[in-house]
Amino acid sequence: MTNLDRKKAIKLSADIAMASTRNGTTFWSRAVIANATHSNGDNNRIFVERTLGGGDGGGGRLSEHCGRTKASRSLSSVMHKKILKKSRRVCSRTVLGRKHNLAKTHSIAKRLVRKKTQVLKSLVPGGESMDELSLVVETLDYIASLRAQVEVMRCLATTAELLNGT
Amino acid sequence: MENDFFLNAGIPPPLHLEQASSIPAWRSSFSTAMDIQAAAADRNCSLEQSPDCFYNPNWDNKSTDQNIHFESALSSMVSSPAASNSNISNESFVIRELIGKLGSIGNSGDLAPHSQSLLGIQNSYMGRNGNASANTSCYSTPLNSPPKLNLPVPDHHLKKEKLPNLGNSMALNSSLAEFSADPGFAERAAKFSCFGSRSFNGRTSQLGTNNNNSTEQPSFRFHPAAGNGGKLPRVSSSPSIKALGSQTSMQEKMRALLQDRSELPNSREESTISEQNPNRETNSMDLNSRKRKSASKGKAKDHHPPPISPSPTSTKGAEVNENSNTKRSKPSENNGNDQNGSVKAEEDAKGSTSSDEKQTKTGPKPPEPPKDYIHVRARRGQATDSHSLAERVRREKISERMKLLQDLVPGCNKVTGKALMLDEIINYVQSLQRQVEFLSMKLSSVNTRLDFNMETLMSKEIFQQNHGLPQHPIFPSDSSAQAIYGHQRQQNPVLSNGAVDPLDNTSPCQSLGMQLPPLSGFSSEGIPHFPAFGEDDLHTIVQMGFGQNPTRESELLGSNQVSHMKIEL
Repeated sequence: MTNLDRKKAIKLSADIAMASTRNGTTFWSRAVIANATHSNGDNNRIFVERTLGGGDGGGGRLSEHCGRTKASRSLSSVMHKKILKKSRRVCSRTVLGRKHNLAKTHSIAKRLVRKKTQVLKSLVPGGESMDELSLVVETLDYIASLRAQVEVMRCLATTAELLNGT
Repeated sequence: MENDFFLNAGIPPPLHLEQASSIPAWRSSFSTAMDIQAAAADRNCSLEQSPDCFYNPNWDNKSTDQNIHFESALSSMVSSPAASNSNISNESFVIRELIGKLGSIGNSGDLAPHSQSLLGIQNSYMGRNGNASANTSCYSTPLNSPPKLNLPVPDHHLKKEKLPNLGNSMALNSSLAEFSADPGFAERAAKFSCFGSRSFNGRTSQLGTNNNNSTEQPSFRFHPAAGNGGKLPRVSSSPSIKALGSQTSMQEKMRALLQDRSELPNSREESTISEQNPNRETNSMDLNSRKRKSASKGKAKDHHPPPISPSPTSTKGAEVNENSNTKRSKPSENNGNDQNGSVKAEEDAKGSTSSDEKQTKTGPKPPEPPKDYIHVRARRGQATDSHSLAERVRREKISERMKLLQDLVPGCNKVTGKALMLDEIINYVQSLQRQVEFLSMKLSSVNTRLDFNMETLMSKEIFQQNHGLPQHPIFPSDSSAQAIYGHQRQQNPVLSNGAVDPLDNTSPCQSLGMQLPPLSGFSSEGIPHFPAFGEDDLHTIVQMGFGQNPTRESELLGSNQVSHMKIEL
């Protein structure tokens, strides 16, 4: 196994460990687990199953984890996107009719915020399907756990360095 | 406490007696409090038009003299009976009685002028006393001077606490006596505004009946406004000043105002505490909308539910109040100038500014009662249908969470605007993710032994979690698979001989520990294999601890793959 593979495995295990602390209560943790299982074939799936463990087989829990996200994403996301496009078209038509000057600055700011929100959605796992409020909440949670993860991993790295040094 | 304070104030300089005719007032107030010389009290009251007239100068005069005395008086509360005995010979007996009744609380002198205007209605009496305490608190703030210090502030609270208590114990000993002598005066003081409003409720209803009598109108006016305590001392004190200055002109307005108010609280008498907050605010709102239209916007901000946006709105409201107060204080000063001497006007201005300070201080102070419902009110010009209300609630929630995010993300405090904040958040999340990447890279490259141990632990966990029944056969096969890898072959018999769990095979320390005892102890199992074991194996074992990590790693990977295969099968 190359170093890169090892790194990937470590990152995957760290991510899954981080997500499993939330016990499936948050969107992002479910999304992390779902992505991990579905991104890289069966190899990852087994790994995730093993990592998640669980008394009577990790599979059940895993399927519970993924079932929601997968089903909801595959079917409804297309519909949502269609509806969203339509409504946006309607909205833009009405907005253009209003006072031009005020709408201009306002729309610029709004567009900026929307763009940033899109970026944030792409960053937070599972953020694509969130509305604004849940996105902010999930971001809060995600940042908190990312910080914890970074801290743990840094501790591990320092101890490893110490052990290596001696 | 203020009893002997006042007595001290009164007796050493006899000037005070003639000057402001305060002491007779005090005496008479005492007597009225005991219901002995009620007639004299009434006479005094009528002579001086309003108790507040001499009330203010008294405070100012004395406090200039007795700033130091005041604190000491607080401490020497118990000693007050003796002083009162020696000083006022007439009513020493009565006073002693009174003080004996009241116990440690000796500050009856303060309440007395207000009890002059007592009309026999106990409810009103209660409310008045509460208001009187508010008055004193308002006026004593500058006089006790430094509000920043620790000592004076508790004193205030003490006074606030004890004054209403006194009033209650005088008027009706039973009803609110539980409030007395409580050490938790700070909380009580914080809640005091609520009490004020409540007493105010009682008072206004009484006022409606009393308006016709109108001999003591100014004093009445002063109280209800001051009853609001922290909320509206400015508005309250300004009417009192005006009452000083031009009573007749202001009477009509004030009466209308008070009647307005009396309608409000009457309807909400039975409201609970949680509803009392909006109640008070609506009161103030009424006043504001009458007095100054410009400030209505700031007040409307105050109306917003505290759980949603607590800090900025309250401070804003306080600021608006302050502004309007500074505006208001000027005309009042003018009034005082017109009627009375310039000194008095200055004093009044001082008092008003002090009340301003007080208000701004106590503005954010009263704790919001816990609300279990979301209380949304539309500002002027905002839509009130349910959809937009819900939308507003959602936005408030988002902004609240954004604030939390702002606290969480470093460097986000300085940024204003949602787009920039989102930018910061995005950067932070990206940096965290990159950090994770980097750390995992580092962990993978720096040392393989540690995470190797980690993974063994992990696999052990899985082993334990799965309770091993399907997994057990895997691990012997694992060890057999390890046998493929080179020099691990020698280790296997040892492990099997020691009857060690095959898992421990992977962790060098444990395997060492398990292998050494048979070596050192020459146990029955260890002996036959010892010659076969040899020095080479020991070397390899020792090496494994430090140098042979890559092979270990590959071995582990092999075991992992084997187990994977097993699971897949």
